[in-house]
Amino acid sequence: MWTDLEREVIRCIKCGACQSVCPVFRELGAESSVARGKIKLIKAAIRGDLDSRSANFGELLSRCLLCGACQESCPSGVNFHDLLTRARIQLAEEKGLPLLTRLVLRLGLRNRRLFEVALNFGSIGQWLMFRHAPEGAGMLPRLPMGLDMRRLVAPVSNQSFRSRHPETIEVTNPKRKVAFFTGCMINHLYPETGESVLKLLRRNRVSVLIPAGQHCCGAPALSNGDEATAIEMAKSAVNTFAALDVDAVVTACGSCGAMLRKQFPELLRNFPKYFEKSQILARKTIDFTELLADIGLSGELTKLNRNVTYHDSCHLVRIQGVKDQPRQLLGSIPGVTLSEMQQPGRCCGGAGSFSLQHYELSRKIVQQKLNDIVATNADTVVAGCPMCVMHIRDGVHQNGLTTRVLHTADLIAEAYDD
Amino acid sequence: MRKDITDEIKQIVGTAYVLEGFEDKYCYIYDASAIDAGKNGTPSLVVFPGSAEEVSCLLKLANQYNFPVIPRGAGTNVSGGTVSHSDAVILVLKRMDRILEIDERNMMAEVEVGVITARLQDEVEKRGLFYPPDPASRSFSTMGGNVAENAGGPRGAKYGVTRNYVLSLEVVLPTGEIIRTGAKTMKDVAGYDLTGLMIGSEGTLGVVTKVTVKLLPLPQAKKTMLVVFDDLGKASEAVAQVFIAGVIPATMELLDNIYIRAIEDYVHLGLPVDAEAVLLIEVDGDEIALGPQIESIKQICTRQGATSVRVASNAKEADELWVARRSAFAALARVKPTIIGEDCTVKRDKIPQMVRKIRAIAEKYNVIIAVLGHAGDGNLHATLLADERDKDEMARIEGAIDEILTSTLEVGGTLTGEHGIGRVKRKFLPLQLGPGGMKAMKAIKLALDPNNILNPGLGFGD
Repeated sequence: MWTDLEREVIRCIKCGACQSVCPVFRELGAESSVARGKIKLIKAAIRGDLDSRSANFGELLSRCLLCGACQESCPSGVNFHDLLTRARIQLAEEKGLPLLTRLVLRLGLRNRRLFEVALNFGSIGQWLMFRHAPEGAGMLPRLPMGLDMRRLVAPVSNQSFRSRHPETIEVTNPKRKVAFFTGCMINHLYPETGESVLKLLRRNRVSVLIPAGQHCCGAPALSNGDEATAIEMAKSAVNTFAALDVDAVVTACGSCGAMLRKQFPELLRNFPKYFEKSQILARKTIDFTELLADIGLSGELTKLNRNVTYHDSCHLVRIQGVKDQPRQLLGSIPGVTLSEMQQPGRCCGGAGSFSLQHYELSRKIVQQKLNDIVATNADTVVAGCPMCVMHIRDGVHQNGLTTRVLHTADLIAEAYDD
Repeated sequence: MRKDITDEIKQIVGTAYVLEGFEDKYCYIYDASAIDAGKNGTPSLVVFPGSAEEVSCLLKLANQYNFPVIPRGAGTNVSGGTVSHSDAVILVLKRMDRILEIDERNMMAEVEVGVITARLQDEVEKRGLFYPPDPASRSFSTMGGNVAENAGGPRGAKYGVTRNYVLSLEVVLPTGEIIRTGAKTMKDVAGYDLTGLMIGSEGTLGVVTKVTVKLLPLPQAKKTMLVVFDDLGKASEAVAQVFIAGVIPATMELLDNIYIRAIEDYVHLGLPVDAEAVLLIEVDGDEIALGPQIESIKQICTRQGATSVRVASNAKEADELWVARRSAFAALARVKPTIIGEDCTVKRDKIPQMVRKIRAIAEKYNVIIAVLGHAGDGNLHATLLADERDKDEMARIEGAIDEILTSTLEVGGTLTGEHGIGRVKRKFLPLQLGPGGMKAMKAIKLALDPNNILNPGLGFGD
């Protein structure tokens, strides 16, 4: 019911403070693109002033990165991230999901085996659809299959991260024992980042469980309004992880971590069998940088001689509150100079499926990020979320720059090279 | 809007700069005030012109076909000055957002109308210069909007308001002529003060497209203190005595007991919850002059019976003191969802009397009203808390606001110190101006805008 959203909607006093931080508003400039306008549109749906099934209404609500910057600057504390997510759920309930989204989320995501088989086939068949970009930058589409032809994506790995490793990886005299929630991007697109995380954990004497039964965190489903699939994913993760005898569940993706820590208990609030377990999982989940900062990097680190700038993933910094730990770890690598960019927490425009649905817009948004990166003279950009890595790499490629774009784990792991 | 007129408008600004979708236009039925125009007030078009010439063509067209035009910046005014009505074309001026010149030698800057105020401030401060007006919205409101509303802010008592800084404007008159008002000089008495006429005219007399402001040297340093009083009268007397002693603080923010309780409940700063008033005072200027100023204020406040005086010894401590002020709004937002801010303004020495009146009104109408004031200039922000879903409460709120406004006039104050009349206070304006004042304003309006094209909803042309 749209009226269920009224309690949050009326808290917006329409002051317009969200205009000063919204990356989408900065590009589009129309009231409908900023939180204040979208809240007014949701209010219009509650009042019956508009037809919530109109194509334009859905389109306007889709123009949000869910980056959370607006709620940080909101004087009355409107939780816009949650409000817009609930509006998208309401919209999906009324209109149903678009066919392609439904196929991917319902058929693909909900069936883990099918999902993995499809991605394994994907790794073989992708050359039909994609060509390699120059200098190994990634893959470019051959056909306009709903993806912009210029869009640089990461190839699907022919061997997923999880399929390479046993479920249990012991170290002698472990300082901690953790379970690794890999997420889909690390498992299938960036297995090398998974390897880096694993290497860092082992070299710092942490035993690792990589449960084979784990699946997607559900973020793509939830941000598209598919609550039912997100609940399935949450239940699956709770079943797989909550009862494990580990000190922590570790993530290396801003959005996965945000789902486990904040969204799962919210999604499972009406499922008594799961709710309490989801809270346990939420409490146990930490970003790998929090764990490493806590136990301290041990062993000899190689000197790297890099000028590094760190980009804060929206969901890592604003939802999980992880800001200092990655900087502290990067700064402790010999030879690494950290150069802060202007507004490191401004969204890069990646935002999961947003950058597929609104490629032109997300390109404009990443351009701001690139300007800030270039201004630091850094040779390397580091981010704690594979989505940011993919999107900033795309931006670097489109601008013909040579800046390296790495996941935090990948750069720290380089310092452990023998 | 007729299709042929829409096509003409698109020819002027380009199709990409016209919004036609119902949902897109619906997002202009409101501004930051508590009112909106409703579904039937959805504007006919929203247009984003890119130059004074385009604005001129649009206004000529409006006169030709007789449709109303509402200029709009960031839509952050709290008086309903940019709320749409049906048939109106909303003219969003944010595309014109270049800082044209920062003239360090002559300490002036010229900007286009859509420049965000804080951006200008950041740029001039990098050069050791200072543009003082500081409305709460300065990080997202435009210079054009600040001119149209004659925006003020906490620094008003020492530094004045937008009016005190504008030297010259480029304005498109309602009939389409592009003119220059004033001059880019520190002094100018050539003819009528059209610059002054445009400032605060709320988009009814012209569309400003360029603004030239004068700048000050950036103060070298500032110092902050927090003073607690158990009695509002004592706090107010202390404010008066500080000015009499020749000290002019940059800001002097007064928070009443309701604010103090809400803030303490929210951020736990150790504020005494039975205190009647807290004054947050900041002085700025040459480093060497600040110590004696703070000492003087401290002595005056103690003499007037302050129960505690805390002076920040460094920037970090100052920031901690400001937490109280900065969290004031969020603290109230936790109490009730709907917040309406008034800005009745009285002489400094009438503050206690006015606050007592507001208290009595709150009791009479059984509503919560907190008071925050820019005590240095008598600008009181009576903040009314409600839940807009509660129709009965909203009716009582309306009654309380009416009575606050009439009471303000009774003590010789003004309906609005910095928010503007807009739609919200329209019906009260005759009470303050009298029939003669209203007639003079109408004559000015119709002389410049014979067809009542610009922002007719504010009623100056009726």
